[in-house]
Amino acid sequence: MHRSAIRQIALAAVAGVGLAVWVFPVIWGLLTSFKAERDVLAYPPVWLFKPTLDNYREVLFGASSILPNLWSSCVVSVLTTLLTMLIAIPAAYALARLKYPGKRASGFYVLATQMLPPVGLIIPYYLALQRIGWLDSYSGLTATYLTFSLPFAIWLMVSYFEDIPLEMEEAALLDRAGRLRTLWYVILPQVRGGIAVAAIFVFLNAWNEFMFAVVLGGNRVRPVTVAMFNFISVEQTQWSKLAAGAMLAMAPVILIGILAQRHIVKGLTFGAVKGGGRR
Amino acid sequence: MAQLLSAPTLEAQERRFALALFVPALAVLLLTTTVPLVYLVWNSLHRLDLGMPWLSGFAGLGNYTKMGSDPRFWNSLLLTLIYTGSTVVLQVLIGLSLAMLVMQFPKGQGILRIAAILPIVLAPVVVGLFWRTLVLSPDFGLVDLVTRALGLGSHNWLGDPQLALISVIAIHTWQWTPFAFLVLLASLATLPADVYEAARLDRAGAWQRFRHITLPLIRPAIVMVIILRMMTALSAFAAIFAATGGGPGSATEILNLYAYRTSFSELNLGYGASLAVVLMSMTLAISYLMFRLRRAR
Repeated sequence: MHRSAIRQIALAAVAGVGLAVWVFPVIWGLLTSFKAERDVLAYPPVWLFKPTLDNYREVLFGASSILPNLWSSCVVSVLTTLLTMLIAIPAAYALARLKYPGKRASGFYVLATQMLPPVGLIIPYYLALQRIGWLDSYSGLTATYLTFSLPFAIWLMVSYFEDIPLEMEEAALLDRAGRLRTLWYVILPQVRGGIAVAAIFVFLNAWNEFMFAVVLGGNRVRPVTVAMFNFISVEQTQWSKLAAGAMLAMAPVILIGILAQRHIVKGLTFGAVKGGGRR
Repeated sequence: MAQLLSAPTLEAQERRFALALFVPALAVLLLTTTVPLVYLVWNSLHRLDLGMPWLSGFAGLGNYTKMGSDPRFWNSLLLTLIYTGSTVVLQVLIGLSLAMLVMQFPKGQGILRIAAILPIVLAPVVVGLFWRTLVLSPDFGLVDLVTRALGLGSHNWLGDPQLALISVIAIHTWQWTPFAFLVLLASLATLPADVYEAARLDRAGAWQRFRHITLPLIRPAIVMVIILRMMTALSAFAAIFAATGGGPGSATEILNLYAYRTSFSELNLGYGASLAVVLMSMTLAISYLMFRLRRAR
């Protein structure tokens, strides 16, 4: 009895340390964002300091405000999410439920496009977008984001569509509801959860994307990830401002992460636990 | 609507409907992934140096034969293998151990889940910047505070070539282990309890239970985690780019970064394209092998 209690405590301690390793850097960053510059570089580090909002004020309204960058990220991420879902949902339904020639091959094709490393796409995109004058444009960046969001969303949605009992569809079809009406009124409400999971993931990935943004963006379209990167090369040691900027830049994804944690865990585990795509 | 779609037979009608739903996605994927891919291969057969545009022209397999005698390429290939291998092994080992540990505590998993989600949702570039400044910077970084307190002294974690490689591996492992942890935790939660009961009655030890029951049952999940983690590791970019930029020198320059630097720092797009083709073939070959392996057992 006694031994098992000690064991429990020891195990809990190990789990606690693991937890701290993941959370601590983020909390440390949050604390740093409220510090004055001299408190940042204090040794030993100070836990009790006079919090200040100066960093946030500077990052938001100062000379190099990140507000335009937040806006860029917003536009690209929302556009990417909407377009992706609009194209992915019907395609996934066809892949999961309908019979058509070349279905197996098309499933493989979608899977293969998901494996392409971004660095392979960025060179042709740079050359092509430069030629048609789409560098530093929302259309150009959104098109490149479709390359990773679309295959992912299609495959995720396929597994959700496969989970709906066939009878529901058949019943609706027998009522001569028409295929499109059946899809819209009967099937889609069943996969609302899946749509939420897919949309959240697409949005997160688009918001966090960096490589495409740094090469194909510019002065007009510059997402926050690029702004953060530029910040450190310009203002090397201003950690508290960097931390404040990072907190603002990551606020949307952190919020989504906490609010939609169940959805996110589902999205992460769905393919893995079910064994990925069956094909 | 029904009239619009009416066709001779139900089957033909279904086929038409399916194609109407799938063709937009197919068209977009062809245009955004396959056409650029072909263009990439085409470029890899050319000499295309924006620094020396007058030398541009068809080069055949010149870019590929050049790799054979390019020490930086072999270095990046080796680093890619080390980086991918070590991060995947670390993630699965730590993730699995933590998941089995947490399984013992039915309560409190909610907090752990939030803690685990945090690194996953952060942008890798921000993670790289955070580690470069707050965590790994000499003198003021968290890690240095700890090593100094323990009497191990201060180190230049990202400036020393060997430490830099270990550091970027640590950064990647920090960010993505939660993924392995969450997936394996979910997989462990689906295991039937009665099998364990039977094993315990048969006096199977903890290790035997793990070896002969748990491991075979969660094997598919582990293989899936390995595949997905390998994909991420092979195309890792932003965190390393932000933390070290591939340096010092080329100490953390994995193939992905080498292709990027060649293309966009040295503006040698032709050679960069051929490096990207090599990385891409490697990724596809590895994922093909892994999927085969998964089906085989």
